[in-house]
Amino acid sequence: MGPRAQFEAEKPDSLMRIANLSKRYVQRRLLRRTPFTISAFEDVNLTIHRGTTLAIVGESGAGKSTLAKCLALLEKPTTGEIWFEGENLLGFSKRELFGVHREIQFIFQDPTSALNPGLTAEEIIGEPLAIQRIGTKDSKRTRAQELMEHVGLPQRSRHKRPLEFSGGQRQRLAIARALALEPKLLILDEALSSLDLLNQQMILKLLDDLRAMHSLTYVHISHDLRLVSEFADEVAVMSQRRIVEQKPAAELFSRPEHPDTRALLAAMPSLESICLGRLD
Amino acid sequence: MNSRRKLWGALILLAAFHGLILFAGFFAPYGFAVQDRDMSFAPPTRLHFTDAQGKFHLRPFVYGLKDDPANPGAYAADTTHMYPLRFFVQGSPYKVAGLFESHLHFFGVASDGRLFLMGTDGYGRDQLSRFLYGGQISLLAGLLAAALSVALGILVGSLAGFYGGWIDELLMRGSEIFLALPWLYLLFAVRAALPLHIAEWQVFLLLVAVMGVIGWARPARLIRGVVLSAKERKFVVAARGFGASDAHLLFKHVLPQTYGVVLTQIALLIPQYVLAEVTLSFLGLGVGEPMASWGTLLSSLQQYYILSSYWWMFLPALLLIPLFLAYYTTADALQERLKSVSL
Amino acid sequence: MRYISRRLIHAILLLLAVSFFSFALLQLAPGDFFDAMRLNPEISQHTVESIRSEYGLDQPLPIRYGRWLRSMLKGNLGFSLASNSPVAPLLRVRARNTLLLSGTATLLAWLLALPIGVWSAAKRGGWGDRIGKVATSTILAVPDLLLFLGLLLLAVRTGWFPTGGMVSPGIDGLDFWSQAKDVAFHLVLPAFGLAVVMLPVLVLHVRSAMIEALESPFIRAARGHGIPRARLLFRYALPAASNPLISLLGFSVATMLSTSMLAEVVLSWPGLGPLLVESIFSRDVYVVVAVVMLSSVFLVMGNLLADLLLFASDPRIRTETE
Repeated sequence: MGPRAQFEAEKPDSLMRIANLSKRYVQRRLLRRTPFTISAFEDVNLTIHRGTTLAIVGESGAGKSTLAKCLALLEKPTTGEIWFEGENLLGFSKRELFGVHREIQFIFQDPTSALNPGLTAEEIIGEPLAIQRIGTKDSKRTRAQELMEHVGLPQRSRHKRPLEFSGGQRQRLAIARALALEPKLLILDEALSSLDLLNQQMILKLLDDLRAMHSLTYVHISHDLRLVSEFADEVAVMSQRRIVEQKPAAELFSRPEHPDTRALLAAMPSLESICLGRLD
Repeated sequence: MNSRRKLWGALILLAAFHGLILFAGFFAPYGFAVQDRDMSFAPPTRLHFTDAQGKFHLRPFVYGLKDDPANPGAYAADTTHMYPLRFFVQGSPYKVAGLFESHLHFFGVASDGRLFLMGTDGYGRDQLSRFLYGGQISLLAGLLAAALSVALGILVGSLAGFYGGWIDELLMRGSEIFLALPWLYLLFAVRAALPLHIAEWQVFLLLVAVMGVIGWARPARLIRGVVLSAKERKFVVAARGFGASDAHLLFKHVLPQTYGVVLTQIALLIPQYVLAEVTLSFLGLGVGEPMASWGTLLSSLQQYYILSSYWWMFLPALLLIPLFLAYYTTADALQERLKSVSL
Repeated sequence: MRYISRRLIHAILLLLAVSFFSFALLQLAPGDFFDAMRLNPEISQHTVESIRSEYGLDQPLPIRYGRWLRSMLKGNLGFSLASNSPVAPLLRVRARNTLLLSGTATLLAWLLALPIGVWSAAKRGGWGDRIGKVATSTILAVPDLLLFLGLLLLAVRTGWFPTGGMVSPGIDGLDFWSQAKDVAFHLVLPAFGLAVVMLPVLVLHVRSAMIEALESPFIRAARGHGIPRARLLFRYALPAASNPLISLLGFSVATMLSTSMLAEVVLSWPGLGPLLVESIFSRDVYVVVAVVMLSSVFLVMGNLLADLLLFASDPRIRTETE
């Protein structure tokens, strides 16, 4: 069973720890005194173990995506702490954060909008290197070629623009770009939702291979429990803007504790019912 | 694609027009200040291919001009003197790009002949030459002012759109003030605040500066709109995730999305500013004599007898029509292409 | 109500800013205005000094601005050196004439633009529409100056229209209707010229607004109910398209003011335009500033009016902002 067995056997250390994280939006109202507060998520506690895949599931809503963005440092949380490799990221200065971006990367749900349509594949993959000022033009080109190979994109398409690729290929391109900086943590926000079933499986396999190759840790945001059951090591359930349970996948699916988790699992169509449905 | 052909057609026309004006010294048969008092208000010289004897000549020629005994003040063709049209002739000296002197003209006739393809004005100055030289002033003023307005618009629009918050509020309120002022009146007012008789080039620069600075508001608002939507694009957020600085985001991702709007604005502003310069000069408030600006060429039309008797004095204004048409077509075609490209 | 008061405050603030701008312009003018005035033997030293202290020219800048603004609001717009009289009465007549011309031209332009725009939207894509588009583009490309000069030429050559001015000589004694007819007669050429200049932009906007309205679902449904063409166009689609058009109305005031200046000068209509040009030549700074301010006031009021019209016609705005 490969990585999963290993996970059970060893005691994995935590790569990232989230403590009491909240994100609130405040809207000032024109004539009332008290401002209007919307909370995206409240008091979130999570542990992400090195080398594992954590899935965050829950009802559809902006909460999970916003959490994911905060983990990737794309948004600032209102309160709480983010510990990465033993350091509190929220205390970092801008310069220190610049370096941290190399460690944590983000994959968007829709690869088409995440890629600049005016740039070629090579340029897209090379951009993070350019921003972080790594290497020369030649070394960037070589690295881009390398990464394209890793994700399974043909070399001859390195001068093509995103629109010339298929949906699945675009997501591969986004993944290649995310790997350019050799990150430790990859956060995927519903990265499979926009793909068809075949592509989903292919990308999942790719991600699995990449994890071994590059010693990656994944956090998947997903609403698709069926998929989650296939790839996740640990699952955290988000409900009413909070994390209600975090457990190894097998445990969660067999012995769910929280009522919301049970409700979520109950709503999930089981494999048998799908097959039976098709036979009718 | 229809819009593609339109765009290229318009651009070629513009290039030709600007090329002619840029090398006015070469293409104009005479200097802009050359007077010929005997030939005051001469109508456009006709080119002939067959002479009085009915013989056909491959090379066109013009007749000499002499006073018409039947109509005092008018001219008649002197068929005894024929002046063939030659190309690449030697003529009056001019400076190429203000650097070196040349005597070479694209076309002309022998020095005792007269070639007034657009007629002459009251001082006997060739209108065609003055039109070409005048373009250097009017067109340049329009181009520079448009560039200035758009540059300011990009600056303000990107700052306001990108950073939002109070910067945005402040800049947009400011732009409203500028939009609330009727700009032609404002232009005149600022012109009024300046001394009436200052050096030519100073008037020119001042005009350009004022027009350019007054006109930043509309481009700024349009560019701000593009920037607002551009900065929300996911690939901009992604670049932030690599630690990109604001400058990188602006220059590499956001501003490239404004190119379409910028080009369209330029294409629309140039004719507007050219017309403003022409209006000012027409009223005597712009660049004055003896410098030819298109406005100065037209200013004599304010006198009724010139207006009704000498039709060729209208020609400089008529020639502006294809020029403006070309600019507007360019702006149109650009907008069409923009609509089809944006996702 | 809130919307109206907000727009009103907005307009006032805008005018205040414009006034400050004009004041700054005034300060730009080189030389003390009163130097020239002192040299004029017809004005006594006493008058000069009293005007000078009234304008508080010996005070610091913000106080001067305040007093200038106050005196402006009281109706004192300064003193015209060239005409040797206060500015305000000079402006009154000219402003009225400009408004008459601009108002008539705007009315004319819209009266023409609406049917043309609606018709071309209805016949979209057909040869009529295409000819219309070409014609519009061509008119757009004709410089305003050329158009006005052309009209002047027409007047001079044919004698069908007066070549300038607002009234014919000797008209004073006659009754109101003859005077009105005389003015109207003089109004034809400049108003027509202005309207033609404005037409292309208006037509294009009317056309595109109509096209958008015609494609909306509710119009399609109405068509499905068999409502006759003309009624559909004018009673259903046009009101739906009125939103952007009312905004355009406010916006067109600005261009109209600028363009009318040129028309007035070329066709000798005694409005603010020729006054402005004359006063620039005679270095009559107060007149210049007053004209600029006045035209800005017209502009802001025009926009405000458009906002109010929008408010009155579009219920969505009323609910959105309450």
